[in-house]
Amino acid sequence: MAANSPYQIRLTVNGEPREAGVPARRTLVDLLRYDLGLTGTKEACSVGVCGACTVLLNGRLVASCITLAVQADGALITTIEGVAEGDRLHPLQQAFIEHGGFQCGICTPGQIVAAKALLDTNPQPSEDEIKDWMMGNLCRCTGYYQIVESIARAAGARG
Amino acid sequence: MVAYQVIGKPAPRFEGAEKVTGRAKYAADFSLPGTVWGKTLHSPHAHARIVRIDTAAAKQVPGVHAVITGADTRDGGLWGRGVKDAPVLAYDRVRYIGERVAAVAADDEDIAQQALDLIEVEYEEWPAVLDPFAALQPDAPILHPDFNSYFGFKYKQETPSNIHLQTRLDRGDVERGFAEAELIVENTYITQRQSQGYLEPHALLVHIDPADGRVHVWHCNKVPHNTRGALAVAAGIPEERIVFHPTFIGGDFGGKGNSRITPIAYYLAKASGRPVRMISDYLEEFLAGNPRHHVIIQLKSGVKHDGTITAHQVNYVVNTGAYAAFKPFGGIGGANQAAGPYRIPNCRIESTFVYTNLLPGGFVRAPGEPQGVWAIESHVDEIARRIGMDPVAFRLKNLIVEGEEAPWGEQFEHIRASETLQAAVDAAGYHAPKPAPGGAPGASAASPGDTAKPTHVGRGVAVGERGTGGGEGTSEITLNPDGSVVLGTPIFDQGTGTYTTLAQVVGEELGIALERIRLQVWDTDVIPSDAGLAGSHGTLIQTSAAHEAAQEVKQELVRLAAQQLEWPEAQIAFAAGELRRADTAESVPWADLLKRAGRSVSGRGHVVAPRSHTTAFVAQVAEVSVDPETGEVKLLNFTTAHDAGTVVNPIGFQGQINGGVVLGIGYALMEEIKIEDGRVTTLSFGDYKLPTPRDIPPLKTVVLPSQQGDGPYSIRGIGEAPCTPVAPAIANAVEDAIGVRIRDLPITAEKVYAALKLRGQDAEKPAQPASQGGVR
Repeated sequence: MAANSPYQIRLTVNGEPREAGVPARRTLVDLLRYDLGLTGTKEACSVGVCGACTVLLNGRLVASCITLAVQADGALITTIEGVAEGDRLHPLQQAFIEHGGFQCGICTPGQIVAAKALLDTNPQPSEDEIKDWMMGNLCRCTGYYQIVESIARAAGARG
Repeated sequence: MVAYQVIGKPAPRFEGAEKVTGRAKYAADFSLPGTVWGKTLHSPHAHARIVRIDTAAAKQVPGVHAVITGADTRDGGLWGRGVKDAPVLAYDRVRYIGERVAAVAADDEDIAQQALDLIEVEYEEWPAVLDPFAALQPDAPILHPDFNSYFGFKYKQETPSNIHLQTRLDRGDVERGFAEAELIVENTYITQRQSQGYLEPHALLVHIDPADGRVHVWHCNKVPHNTRGALAVAAGIPEERIVFHPTFIGGDFGGKGNSRITPIAYYLAKASGRPVRMISDYLEEFLAGNPRHHVIIQLKSGVKHDGTITAHQVNYVVNTGAYAAFKPFGGIGGANQAAGPYRIPNCRIESTFVYTNLLPGGFVRAPGEPQGVWAIESHVDEIARRIGMDPVAFRLKNLIVEGEEAPWGEQFEHIRASETLQAAVDAAGYHAPKPAPGGAPGASAASPGDTAKPTHVGRGVAVGERGTGGGEGTSEITLNPDGSVVLGTPIFDQGTGTYTTLAQVVGEELGIALERIRLQVWDTDVIPSDAGLAGSHGTLIQTSAAHEAAQEVKQELVRLAAQQLEWPEAQIAFAAGELRRADTAESVPWADLLKRAGRSVSGRGHVVAPRSHTTAFVAQVAEVSVDPETGEVKLLNFTTAHDAGTVVNPIGFQGQINGGVVLGIGYALMEEIKIEDGRVTTLSFGDYKLPTPRDIPPLKTVVLPSQQGDGPYSIRGIGEAPCTPVAPAIANAVEDAIGVRIRDLPITAEKVYAALKLRGQDAEKPAQPASQGGVR
């Protein structure tokens, strides 16, 4: 495999140091899902449009389906698996459960990671700001109403 | 109203913690040691003979474990949910661009793709037929010369043709009805292809256990028992050798009831001896998926000037595409709905389903109904405007009432069509003054002064109805001596909240806190058959089965109490988690009883429900503004009213309505799988536009609660009705706003702009008779 995976990369995923040998064309989402076993991050559109594969790279939102694994060398990555603190759910996670912020759940990891990035930079967003920020995260189930509500409630709960 | 403790109260998602933490496992998340990747090669031709396929070079690529073609799969059976007309991999001929002709299993996706690129296919191109009306011509190329030998089709061709289903229904005397009419209105409405738009592309893992030959499948599938049967046919193996394991399903919307790649993965697993994972990428989902059908709907109505409908005729032509296999019974609904829930004494409904060399259509939320409702609810508005009646008044005059039959002869029960419409109209302020100057119905072209105004506001209304589907369901409740509760279900969750409603029934009937319930999702070995989820029946069937299971459990507990405590059985009742003895007022908690007995009790409910005749009416009002400079339609407000029966979980109920309405908004305004020369050109979510959070209008929901519904809790399904009247409500609002009528979906700015331009040109010419319809 070494011949096919010539690039050795080191990165920190959800606070844990990880290492992997990858080919140049390996995407970050495949690295996370199939090399590191973190299947919480989902791949849907594969062209960086739908937001299902959203993760944080050094605190910034990226579409991991169009980010190469080698670009994450040395980076801090946060995935959905790193949002809760142990058994304690993040206020966003709690709000999504209580206010119907998901149905099938396939876009939910991306929605929550994206919403976390929003609240990390803007703790009290208006409804318009939430809608603008979340435009890159598609959802077919909810029609978005309860996602927007969940994020607003989580922001309120955090005070 | 019946007073419930748990039913009707907001219940957070049962599986919520798994889904918000990324722990919930979907099909693509499963892996086994030695798993290889499967990928497929697609036809570049719409219609061609396969002369030769050479896979020698592909097989030589290091890391390739299997290469298969139609020659390897044709000895099994054809593929399909019910009717079967699709080969697992094409052999002899291809019938659409994107059809799968070969497949590879390899160590990784890159190697698989490399091998696919080395497969040589020699084709002899044949004339293709892309238009359903051309496909009906006597000289059209015939796609399926062996049609009469296919399994499952009721329709038989007398001479070779491209028709795989044709229906005709006559009520009353249509010719006499038209003769009695004072005005005949004829219109043709066209619908586009809509993707299900689930964000999880089809994915599965297939493993054939070498020890016993059992075929293990993990697939995003909402009807696993049905697909197990289909796979058995396509693989030519006994059904009991196959087991589908539970997974979460990443969105369904009708598309997760079939699985195009399941039999291919099976044959790859068989050929490679390895577990095979296949994930359709989204390009394949658009290229070779099975979207909502392109339908052409011709309507002709006879009316009197007082608004009485004397006759109505529907000609419903469905462009099936290359295969019917993705319609469980070979057809879709909508032809009946194109007559509407109206009082029509003389009615003819004809439908024709036609093969063409295009990607096959399939099931999408309320299959066929948005097409039929698009047509009738646009048409009814046009009729009302022609005879100078208010569109709401015209509908109220003609909507069926209790005791009357629908135009297709169905006798609905508990009809509240008019009440639902009135509720929507009242809540929306349909008749209130407009906030900005708009084009009044029938107004002549705007003067140059008018076009300078920034907005033209209009309101449109539309109604629909959806009965709850029938089906088979099973549910099991087990109470253990340690106080734990296990809820067994064969349902693979596709997001609509079934586990939560099941848990609510346990909570309601047994007084058990929802957090104490442990869910056990069964693989397909546990029970012989199950209907899965379809036709808005999930809540009805599942709550009915769980209710029955709960009664079984209670009876078991009563019998056990009689035995263990030597209480007279007739004096024992279960209430609030306890067994109570009426004559002595003694009581014992159920867990204590089980501890004493040293065993568990369980009850299983099994229901087979017919399709309900208690239909759920929906009425919607769209308020739009139209920019006369660009034709852009902006949704200002949307109101949706539902005759709902019991609402089991208000959170889930509202979620179904929200998601349905927004899916309808996408259908109305932006979504379209575009095809040029037989080739899909919208091949990603960049080109195919799903609504985003910026596209959703303020939404007002009105619920008409009722005691009437089906099952122990008076349920009416809500999953599909909300998406059907959206598009005509918007089209009617556009006409109200600016006086142009769009009859083909989606209602894009380009179409509105072109219609405005055309009207501008017409206004400069002398008045001409209307192109469609005419006063008799």
